[in-house]
Amino acid sequence: MELLDRYFQAVRFWLPKTQKQDIIAELSEDICSQIEEKETELGRKLKEGEVEAILKRLGRPVLVAGRYSPQQYLIGPLLFPIYRFVLRLVALFYLVPWVLVWIGFMTFDPAYRVRHSGGSLIGALAALWGPFWLTAFFAFGAVTIIFAVLERAQTKSRFMENWDPGKLPAVRDPNQISRASSIFELAAGTVFLVWWIGLRSPIVLGQSAVRITLAPVWQYFFWGYVSLALATIATSGANLFRPYWTRARASVRLATDVIGAALFCWLCKSAILAGISVATVAPAKTVEITDAINLWMSRGFPIAVVVGIVTAAFDVRRIVRAKTTDIRLARGVAEAGDLHQQ
Amino acid sequence: MAHSLDTIGTFDNLRLELRRGCLVLAVLAELRSERYGYTLRKALEERGMAIDEGTLYPLLRRLESQGLLVSEWREEDKRNKRFYRLSHDGKLILKKLLAEWQSINASLNGIL
Repeated sequence: MELLDRYFQAVRFWLPKTQKQDIIAELSEDICSQIEEKETELGRKLKEGEVEAILKRLGRPVLVAGRYSPQQYLIGPLLFPIYRFVLRLVALFYLVPWVLVWIGFMTFDPAYRVRHSGGSLIGALAALWGPFWLTAFFAFGAVTIIFAVLERAQTKSRFMENWDPGKLPAVRDPNQISRASSIFELAAGTVFLVWWIGLRSPIVLGQSAVRITLAPVWQYFFWGYVSLALATIATSGANLFRPYWTRARASVRLATDVIGAALFCWLCKSAILAGISVATVAPAKTVEITDAINLWMSRGFPIAVVVGIVTAAFDVRRIVRAKTTDIRLARGVAEAGDLHQQ
Repeated sequence: MAHSLDTIGTFDNLRLELRRGCLVLAVLAELRSERYGYTLRKALEERGMAIDEGTLYPLLRRLESQGLLVSEWREEDKRNKRFYRLSHDGKLILKKLLAEWQSINASLNGIL
């Protein structure tokens, strides 16, 4: 029957080369037996629709053939959770910042906006779409290829099965502050403060060979960063002795980070360099250098905004986490009190 | 409604999992005497262990590649058929599997 031949041809296409003939012979024998039995039961030849029903029940050719092949994975169940985790990391720490920086440039740099989008929103989205998918495709593709190779290596060497439970990391408390990071913050804050105060006396920096003159607005940045450094030192000191995030301390950290980011963004846009004077360089050239530095600082503004937003988001998350822990602790105390009264 | 559909789907999946191991046992037990695919399917169906051809033939091949079955092509009723029977190793494995099955069954009966 032509329909059966078409079906077997389709199944044969997907079968392993060495077994094609054997499998088709056995499968066709079974189907012919089914048809024969049905015909004996009905006392007539089967109609095409009835044969179709048998084949439909048997399944799509590619599925039928697939059952004869060993189970194969590009990335198997052992590595898949790690693969998914790495993809998330790539999305979070590469693609999201990529988009945010791009949005920052589009929003705050008019020259960039006109150059890449013609100034319209649709143009901007169109300009984002192509490069974004290309970037995402290459990033995810590279990760997938690496994991496919690891999967092959794993299948041969079984390295995933050799592990030592004793090397598992300690139980992590997200509200715990490591003493090392507090000491580092304290030391860095102090060094920064001492260095910063040393810059204070003249607005003109450097000695006679190289003189850097800053704009008058520098005063605000100076005192702003002094205050921030003092606040950071105070918080780090408190964290060192009470190494646990509370809502109050987490809120202070959010405030200092937001003010610090806002100050830095302002610094980027304020043309802070008033002039540079170098004994061996012509004044016209130093003016050019001054303008170039101010321009590049101004171009760094979108990145500063993005970094500020991301930092603030982490700080807010820390406050929420500390709040949740506070509520749990309060509930725990209340329940303990109830138990005690009973 | 969606919840009951989910429950049906979950039941079907669990039932398939439960039957998978039992089918191997049933096929091995049924092949203590020689049979070809279609008659094996019929025999299993009559004993309440229906199995479709898409599952049976790959399973037979797997068991044969593991050395538990032997097969040969022979002509019967003017058609070439592949006959399967339990190998020597297959008989030993079946004996062990049956003991395991009885032990599981006894344990489950105790739990239930």
